[in-house]
Amino acid sequence: MISSDLSIILPEIALAIFAMVALIVAVYTAKDKLAPMLTWLTAAVFVILAFWIGTGSDSTRVAFEGAFVDDGFARFAKVTILLSAAAVLVMSLDYLEKRDLLRFEYPLLIALAAVGMMVMVSAGDLMALYMGLELQSLSLYVVASLRRDSAKSTEAGLKYFVLGALSSGLLLYGASLTYGFAGTTLFAGIIEAAGNEPSLGLIFGLVFLISGFAFKVSAAPFHMWTPDVYEGSPTPVTAFFATAPKVAAMALFARVVHDAFGGNVGDWQQIVAFLAVVSMFLGAIAAIGQTNIKRLMAYSSIAHMGFALMGLAAGTAFGVQAMLIYMAIYVTMNIGTFAFILSMERDGRPVTDIASLKMYSRSEPLKALAMLVLLFSLAGVPPMVGFFGKFYVLRAAYDAGLAWLAIAGVVASVIGAFYYLRIVYFMYFGETEEPLDGQMSPALWAALMVSAAVMVFGVVNLFGIEPLAAAAAETLVN
Amino acid sequence: MSLLLVVALPFFGALLPGVMNSAGRAACAGVTFTVSLIAFIGLLTNLPTVLAGEVVTARVEWIPALGLNFTLMLDGLGFFFAFLILGIGLLIITYGRHYLSRDDNMGEFFTYLLLFQGAMVGIVLSDNVLLLLVFWELTSLSSFLLIGYWKHLPEGRQGARMALAVTGMGGLAMIGGMLILGQIVGSYDLSVILQNRALIQADPLYVPALILILLGCFTKSAQFPFHFWLPHAMAAPTPVSAYLHSATMVKAGIFLMARMWPVLSGTPEWFVIVTTAGLITMVLGAVIALFKHDLKALLAFSTVSHLGLITMLLGTGTAFGAMAAVFHILNHATFKAALFMSAGIVDHEAHTRDIRRLGGLRRLMPVTFGIATLAALSMAGIPFLNGFLSKEMMLEEATHTMLFGSEWLVPVLATVGSLFSAAYCFRFIGHTFLGPVRDDYPHKPHDPGAGMWVPPAILVTLVVVIGVAPFLVQDFVFLVAKAVIGDVAMLEVKYIKIWHGLVPALYMSIIAVVGGLALMLIYKPLLKVWETTPRPEAKVIFEAIVEAAARMAQSIIHPLHNGSFTRYAMIGLVAMIAAGYHAWTTGTVAEPVRELQAAGAVPIAGWGMLVAATAGLVLLHRNRLLALILIGIVGLMVSIGFVYLSAPDLAMTQFTVEVVTIILLLLALNFLPNQTPVESTVLRRIRDAAVAVAGGLATFALAYHYMLREAVTTPISEFHLANSYKGGGGTNVVNVILVDFRGFDTYGEIIVLGIAALLIYALTESLLNGPVRRRLLNRVPDQPRAGDMHPMMMVVLTRVIMPVVLLVGFYIFLRGHNEPGGGFIAGLIVSIAVVMQYMASGFAWTSARLRYPYHGVIGAGVLVAGFTGIGSWFVAQPFLTSAFTYVRIPPFDKFELATAALFDLGVFLAVVGAVMLSLESFSRLARRADMPDAEFPMDIDPSRSDPPPVQTAELKEGN
Repeated sequence: MISSDLSIILPEIALAIFAMVALIVAVYTAKDKLAPMLTWLTAAVFVILAFWIGTGSDSTRVAFEGAFVDDGFARFAKVTILLSAAAVLVMSLDYLEKRDLLRFEYPLLIALAAVGMMVMVSAGDLMALYMGLELQSLSLYVVASLRRDSAKSTEAGLKYFVLGALSSGLLLYGASLTYGFAGTTLFAGIIEAAGNEPSLGLIFGLVFLISGFAFKVSAAPFHMWTPDVYEGSPTPVTAFFATAPKVAAMALFARVVHDAFGGNVGDWQQIVAFLAVVSMFLGAIAAIGQTNIKRLMAYSSIAHMGFALMGLAAGTAFGVQAMLIYMAIYVTMNIGTFAFILSMERDGRPVTDIASLKMYSRSEPLKALAMLVLLFSLAGVPPMVGFFGKFYVLRAAYDAGLAWLAIAGVVASVIGAFYYLRIVYFMYFGETEEPLDGQMSPALWAALMVSAAVMVFGVVNLFGIEPLAAAAAETLVN
Repeated sequence: MSLLLVVALPFFGALLPGVMNSAGRAACAGVTFTVSLIAFIGLLTNLPTVLAGEVVTARVEWIPALGLNFTLMLDGLGFFFAFLILGIGLLIITYGRHYLSRDDNMGEFFTYLLLFQGAMVGIVLSDNVLLLLVFWELTSLSSFLLIGYWKHLPEGRQGARMALAVTGMGGLAMIGGMLILGQIVGSYDLSVILQNRALIQADPLYVPALILILLGCFTKSAQFPFHFWLPHAMAAPTPVSAYLHSATMVKAGIFLMARMWPVLSGTPEWFVIVTTAGLITMVLGAVIALFKHDLKALLAFSTVSHLGLITMLLGTGTAFGAMAAVFHILNHATFKAALFMSAGIVDHEAHTRDIRRLGGLRRLMPVTFGIATLAALSMAGIPFLNGFLSKEMMLEEATHTMLFGSEWLVPVLATVGSLFSAAYCFRFIGHTFLGPVRDDYPHKPHDPGAGMWVPPAILVTLVVVIGVAPFLVQDFVFLVAKAVIGDVAMLEVKYIKIWHGLVPALYMSIIAVVGGLALMLIYKPLLKVWETTPRPEAKVIFEAIVEAAARMAQSIIHPLHNGSFTRYAMIGLVAMIAAGYHAWTTGTVAEPVRELQAAGAVPIAGWGMLVAATAGLVLLHRNRLLALILIGIVGLMVSIGFVYLSAPDLAMTQFTVEVVTIILLLLALNFLPNQTPVESTVLRRIRDAAVAVAGGLATFALAYHYMLREAVTTPISEFHLANSYKGGGGTNVVNVILVDFRGFDTYGEIIVLGIAALLIYALTESLLNGPVRRRLLNRVPDQPRAGDMHPMMMVVLTRVIMPVVLLVGFYIFLRGHNEPGGGFIAGLIVSIAVVMQYMASGFAWTSARLRYPYHGVIGAGVLVAGFTGIGSWFVAQPFLTSAFTYVRIPPFDKFELATAALFDLGVFLAVVGAVMLSLESFSRLARRADMPDAEFPMDIDPSRSDPPPVQTAELKEGN
C-alpha cells in the first residue's frame, strides 16, 4: 500500500532528496564555489525527471487515497514545469556569476520550488494542494530577494511575501470553508458533496480558493505584486517567475475547478471570465506606457494569464487543452525573451530600458530577428506559434458560448500588440543612442535562438504537443 | 503544377538568394527570378482549368482540431490576383536588380521579397480563412522587413512603425472576425463559408464579425481612417513601393473584401461602411496627392485614392460594381506599378524625387517620359487607355448609387475625386517632364539601362492594349467578376466598350478631365491656399494618439501601481470582498437552522471592552507603549472569549502566547521611538478606514451566516469525543489530538519551531558579527532611559515567583492529558518564569547563571518526542502509536501512565528551548556599548555601598 503510494510520488521524493542532500553537501564543503556545478546538476536532474515523467506510465494513478493524483494532465504540466525551470537555471548562470549573485542555495531553492509545483499540479486534496503551494511560494519569496544588498530586490521579496501570505490566508480560508461544507478535503469528495446545487458555504470556499489562485497566477485584480516583483528581482529570478510557477499555478487552478468543482461550471465560469477580461485589458493597457522591459514583461504576463484563463473559463475539455497549449507556448516564448533580456547590458551593467534597444538590428541582426519573431509571437501575430495559442483559447471561449469573451480577447490582443510592436520598431528603427554591448553566453544564445526557431517551425504541427494536451485535458475533464 | 507547390516555391526559394549573397548580384537576382518564373508558369498551367470555370483545390491537413487546414483553391479571382502578384513580381525583380546600388545587400532584399511574394500568393489562394490569416500577417511581417530594408533613412522609421502598428493590429482584429465567421458556419473553409450567406447575415454576431474583418481590410488597404500609413511607408526602396504599395499588398484588403463579397455584402451595414469609407478615401487621397511634392508621396496618395475607388465599387454591392472593381484592380496594377517604376527611375537618375526640383526631363529621358506619360494619362482617365474604361464604369455605377438617402452625393463626390485625380496626373507629367530643361538637377539625368525601363514598358504596353482593345480581356474580367459574385447576383452581360454613347458617366468624365486641366492652370494660388489652410496631419495625429495612449495608460497605471504596499493590499482586499459579495449574491442562501442566542450582560461587557480596546488601539496607535497595552487588553479579552466559548485549552495557549509576545514587543520597543510618525493624510486614512470597515462587515456577515447554520452533517468533533479516551487515554480532547491523533503533525511542528528559533539565533549571530553591530552598539536612544534599569522590587518579586511559576508549569503539564493544559502551555509558562529573570536583572547577569544551553533543550525535546514515537516500533506498532496504562505506586493513588505524556514532554522541552533561544537572541541586540553589563542582579541594592555603574553612564549621557 504505502510502497505503491511512494512509487507514484517517487519523482517528487527524488527531487526533494536531491535538493536536501545537495544543500547539506554544499554547506559542509565548498559552498558558493559549488554553485555553478550545482546549477548544472539541478538542471540536469530536472531534465532527467521530465524525461522520466514524460515517458513513464500513461495511466492515471492515485496515491494516498486520492490526495495525490498522477494523471496525464499532471504529467503534461510537470514536464513543462521541469523543462522550463531547467532552461531558466542554465540561462541564469552567466548573469548571476557576473554579478556575484550565484549562491549555492539558488538552484536548490529552485529545485524545492519545483517539488512544490509538482505536488501542486498533482494535488488531489486540499491539503496536498496547500503544501505544494506553500513549498513553492516560500522558495520563491526567498529567491525574489536573492540580491540581499539591493533595496529593490529585498522590497520585492517582502512585498511578494506579505501579499502572498495574505492570499495564502485567503486560500486557506476558502479551503477550510470548502472542507466545512463538503466534509472532506479530497477533490473527489468535494465534487460529490457539491453536486449540482452547491451550498453557499461551498461557493464561498470556491470563490476564495479562486482568489488565492488568481494571486498566484497574477491575474488582475490580484496582480498588484507582479510588476514590482518582476522589476525588483534579479532578472533570472524574474525569468523563473514568468515561466514555471505560472504553469503550476494555472494547472492547479484548472485541477481544482474541474476536479473539485467540475459539476458547478456555472458558478466559477463567470469569475474566471471576469479575471480573464480584467487581466487581458489591464495587462495590455498598462504595458503601453512602460519603459522598463522587465515591468513590461510583468504586464505582458498578466495579459497572457488573462488569455490562458480564457481557455479555462470555457469550462470544457477543449478549454483546458487550449489553456495547456497556451501555457506551453507562453513559457517557450518567455524563455527566449528573457534570454534576450538577460543579455541586455552596457559596459557590463544590466540595462532594462526599452529605449536602449534602438537600432539593435544594426549591430546584432540575427538576435534582433530572433527577438522580432518572439515579439510577434507574444503579440499573437500569425503565423508565429503564439497565434495558435491565442486562437485555441479564443475558440475554446467561443465554443463554450462566451462569444463576448472571445471578442474582448481579440480587442485586448490588438491593444497588446501595440507595445510588442513598439519594441520591434525600436530594434529596427529609432535614433541610435549608445548601443548595447553585451555578449551573449552560449546558453543564452541557444535559448533565444531555439525558442525563436520553435516559434517559426512550430507552425508545422506545434511539435506534436496538441494530442498530448488533448489527452491531458481529457484526463482532467471527464 | 500543384497549388501547394506554387505557394511553397517562393518560401523555399527565399532561402536561395540569402545564401547566394556571395555569388554576386546577378546570381541573386537570377535565382529569384527563376523561382518566381517557375511559380508563375506553374500557375499558368492551371489556367485552362480555371478558364473552364472549375476550381482547382489542394488540401493538406494541418491542425484539424483548430479547423486550420492547409487548403488552397484557385478560382477566377484567385488566379487573377496570383497572376498579378507573380507577373508583376517578375518585372519588379528585374527592375530591382538594376535599381539597387552596389552597397545594398541584395541577398537579403530578395529573400524578403520572395517571402513576401509567397505570403501574397498564399493569401489569394487560401481556401481556409485561418490559413489566409496566417499569410495575411506574414505579409505584414515581410513588408516590415522590406520597408525597413534601408535602415539608414530616418524618414523610413516613422513609416515603418505606422505600417507595422496599423496593419498588424488590423490583422489581429480580423482574427476575431474570422473566428466568428467560422463558428457561425461551423467550418473555416472559405468554400463552405461562401455558401452560407443567409446563415451568416442572419447571425446576431454578423455586425461584430463584419466590423472586425473590415478593420483588417481597411488597415491593409489604407482606407479612411487608416489611410495615413501608406504614404509614410514610401521610404522603402522604390521596387518595394511599386510592388507592395501599389500592385499587391495594399490590394490584399481589397482582395479579401472581394472574396468575402458573396457573404458579407448586400446588407445596409456593409453598404454604408464600405461605400462611405471608399468614397472618403477616394476624394481625400486625390486632393492630398495633388499637393504633394515628393513623386512617390504623390503616387502613394493616388494609390490611396484608387484603392478607395475600388472599395467604393465593392461597397455598392451590385454585380456591375464588382465587375468594375475587378477591372479597375487590373488597370490600376498595370499603370500604377509602371508609374512607381518611372518615379524610381527619375529618383535613380536625377537623385531627387522632389517635383519642385524637376522639370524638363522630357528631353533628357525620352523613354521614361513616354512610359510615365502614358501611364499617368491612363490614371487620369484619358480615352484609349485602360484607366478610362474602368473609370467610366465607376462613374456609371456612381450614378446609380444612393448613399444616406441622397442621389447626388455619390456621383458628385466621384466626379470630384476623378477631377483631382486627373489634376495630379497632369501635374505629375507637367511638373516632372514638361517645361524647360533645368541646370540644377542634383545629378544630370539620362535614360537608364534597359533593365530598368523594360519592366514598366511592358506594363504600359498592357495599358495601351487593354485601352484600345478591351475585348481582349473582357472574358477574363467576366470570369473573375463571376468568381467574386458567386451565385449571389446575376452579372448582366455588358460589354466593356470605349464608347457607350452620351451617358452621364461620359459627361462626368469630361468634367473631371477639363476640371483637372483647369486646376493645373490655377495650381500656384491653389497651392498657397492649401499650404496656408490648417489641416489635420495624419502623421501628427498618429503620433498624438500614440503619445496620448501612453500617457493615458500611465495615468491609469501609475496611481494603481505606485509601489505603495498599502494600496496593493487595499486593492487585493477590496477584490476579495467583492468576490465574497459575488458568492453571496449568486449562491443560494439557506434558511437559518439555529436560533439566535441571547447574550448576557457579562459577555456584552466583555465584547464591549474588546471593541473599545480595538477602537482605542486604532486611534492611539501612534503612542507605541499605549498601543502595546491595548493589544494586551485585546489579547486578554480574546482569551476570556475562548474561556466563555468553552475552549479552555485555547484560552490558556492564547494567554501564554500573549504574554510571550508582549514581552517580545516590549523588547522591540527598546529600539523604537515612542511615537509613530504621521505618514498618511486624513483622506487616506478615511479611505483605509472604509476598506477596513468593509472587510470587518464582510467577516461579520460571513460569521453571522455560518453561526446560524449547520456546517456539515457530522462534525469531526463527534469522532474525537468518542475516541479520545478510548484511543488516547485522555479526556482532554485537544491535548489528545495534539499528542496522539495528530501527533505526527505536532512532531513536525516542534521541529519547525526549533528550526525557527535556531534561525533567529543564527540571524542574530550574523547580525552581531556584521557591520550592523557597531550601529547597534553605538545607537543613542531618543530620550534618556530611566536610571534604575533593574529595580529591586522587580528582582525580588521575580525570584520569589519563579518556583511558584515553575510549579504551576509542572502542574499544567501533568494535568494536560485529561484537563486543560499540556506540554505546549506548560512550556510557555516555564519560559515566562525564566524570561522574567532576564527582564529583572538583565541579559548578562542572567545568562551567566544559566547552565543549560537552549539549543540542547530544543534538541532534547525533539529527541524525546522522536524516541517516544520510535518506541512503538519495538512493539511492532507504527510510529507514534500511543499506549497507556494505570499504575499504583504506594502511597499514591492510582494514576495513569501514557506514552503520550512522554511525547508531551518533548513538546514541552522544545517549546521552552525555542522561546528562550529566540528571546535571548533578540535581547542580545539590545546591548549598548555605553552600558556595561550588569554585575549585580539589581542596580540599587541596599546591602551594597558602591555607586551603581549605570547611573554614571546615565549622567554622562545627560551631559
